Amino acid sequence: MKRTTPLERNTGMQKNTLAVQQDWTAVFRSNLKHFYIYFVLALVVVIFSVVKLDEVDMFQRGHFLNPDNVINLLRIAVPIITVSGAFTFLMIAQYIDLSVGSAMSLSAVVFALMILNGYNFIVAMLVTMIVGILMGTLNGFLVMKLRITPVIATLVTLSLYKGIALLIVPDGLSSIKGNSDNPMPAWINDYGRKDVLLGLPAAFYVAIIIIAILVVVQRKTILGKYTAAIGGNRTAADLSGINAVAVIWLLYIIVGFCAAMAGMARASYMSLGDPLSGDGIETACIIAVLLGGTRFAGGEGAVEKTIIGAIIVICMTVGMLTIIPAYWQTFVMGSVLILAVVLNHLLVKD
Amino acid sequence: METNQTKAKPLALSGKMSNETFITFLMIGVLLFLFAVAAVFVPNFYQPRNILNLVTNSWYIIILGIGVTFLLITGNFDLSVGGVIAMTGVLSVYFSQAANVSQNELANGLGLPYGVAVVLALICAMGIGAVNSFFVVRIKVPSIIVTLGTMMLARGIAQIVTQGAQRNTSLPDVFGVIGNVSIPGTPVKISVVIMILLVIVAFIFERMTVHGRRTYLIGANAESARLSGVNVNRHLTTLFILSSLLAGITGLLMASEFKAGISNRATGYEFDALVISLLGGVSIAGGFGSVLGMFVGALILSVVTSAATGLLLSPDWQFTLKAIAVFIAILSQGYFLSRRKG
Repeated sequence: MKRTTPLERNTGMQKNTLAVQQDWTAVFRSNLKHFYIYFVLALVVVIFSVVKLDEVDMFQRGHFLNPDNVINLLRIAVPIITVSGAFTFLMIAQYIDLSVGSAMSLSAVVFALMILNGYNFIVAMLVTMIVGILMGTLNGFLVMKLRITPVIATLVTLSLYKGIALLIVPDGLSSIKGNSDNPMPAWINDYGRKDVLLGLPAAFYVAIIIIAILVVVQRKTILGKYTAAIGGNRTAADLSGINAVAVIWLLYIIVGFCAAMAGMARASYMSLGDPLSGDGIETACIIAVLLGGTRFAGGEGAVEKTIIGAIIVICMTVGMLTIIPAYWQTFVMGSVLILAVVLNHLLVKD
Repeated sequence: METNQTKAKPLALSGKMSNETFITFLMIGVLLFLFAVAAVFVPNFYQPRNILNLVTNSWYIIILGIGVTFLLITGNFDLSVGGVIAMTGVLSVYFSQAANVSQNELANGLGLPYGVAVVLALICAMGIGAVNSFFVVRIKVPSIIVTLGTMMLARGIAQIVTQGAQRNTSLPDVFGVIGNVSIPGTPVKISVVIMILLVIVAFIFERMTVHGRRTYLIGANAESARLSGVNVNRHLTTLFILSSLLAGITGLLMASEFKAGISNRATGYEFDALVISLLGGVSIAGGFGSVLGMFVGALILSVVTSAATGLLLSPDWQFTLKAIAVFIAILSQGYFLSRRKG
């Protein structure tokens, strides 16, 4: 069968069913549906570039598009980029993992603890990855085997992982960090901060590789097709022989793994293991996924658009701080979530 | 045929305990067991004063739990309750602070009479509920996503009004009354009495009114409820607004108790409200659960957390303990219910 883009498919369908004079609106709508996310990103960037132009010159220090600022922004965006790709898969399949933030915190704490106790980078990384995979496995087990509602199961593991992270941190300290007797090795920073290429750290490129793999998985492999099938119509997927339990369980494991990578990047960036560092990342992921046009009824969505959504979220977070006081942050993010829901409803729904 | 007919009989006539009552009794058993264990290991745990504290200290979470329980029975979440508490508390303070009394922005309010301030704050709380219900009912967005958004909106409003801190000056004296007055001769506060009254009303609503029973019908199968003539949309709207209103009342009482509007008050209460509902046997899967069970669940949580404190465990244990308690509750309730059927 000839491969067609979603755009061609949609317009083809419209031609068969609708009158010819309505065709161009259908083309427009379908274009809008597939590309609005890029307009939103452009809009956000333009707004933040223009808003302080009377105080700072274009691209100068303090301007939103200043190269240092962009690099900093992308470094901050590493954890959410790492997680939100896999998160998209789950949302497409109509499942959710609210525990990603806590999983990230616990991974950060484990990673920092290993480094502080003298293990080398590779060992610490492998252990963190295993922790992430175990957390994902537990989530998948609760949801798929014990059949607990995804929201409740992952809310409970959110509490569990956060609790464990808090318990690992010694009493009287707020995070895993070095002291004068046992300093944190300075090279813990290398992964999350050190310039590898174009001023960006290794963690950023790892995130990009993860996303690239996920995009390929979604477009070219059977896992991507099965995910969409399960989200689109669970009964039909079951009846056509898809092993939904295995597929979703695997997705939870991938999310856990990505959360561990994100936690590692965050711990390396801050050079400490903060048991609260991942708080709120699940909300950011949900916003990114909804902005990226994944239907909240499941069955449709794209990893690369989620990443654009994630960058929009980070742009909002960083850009807003330069124009309004920090205590507006929660309100702005809440509004962005509601706005994402509205946009999603107006543009994505067929 | 014979067995079919006996099955078709209403549970009340067959003389058999309903599943909800069964779970409630099961959880009362668990509560007594946990209390006995705690009484053995924690010094002075069995004293009447402490038992009273176990009930009275969880008044706010029980009030929240009423709304959250009804929504859970219909298969919806409300994560916005914590944010609504903060917002209502802060707004009630802002509305009733005297106007133009100080250079400090946080000391100046709108100078409205206390009664007006309370009503306005409650209307704002119900507004959040209206937003929730609009998105869930009209746009069919999953409630978890919407209420996550309104949670941030409500807390965001609280943070904007207090500039990320708190408002606690130039308040009229009447503001601190309702949260601090206790019943003469006892240490029981008015808030606790309000909680008890609300639980009784909710219990009557749940068991004896048509609307209460419809809640279960919607949870069991929303489509068949709609086809049998229940206005599902209006019912869900009412429940969302009710949940936010209860959160608003809690917020007012807490603001009055501390005589301050604190923007980070009630962080994580939405999770606690969910925890006590689940401990009380509410099931999101199919129109199952009861307010009485939620009440018992709140007592279980209270016993567990205060026993942990009594054993000098660090406060960091709270998260882990809650998670484990809910796991055990969900699994054991599922197990006992399936045995009962089989």
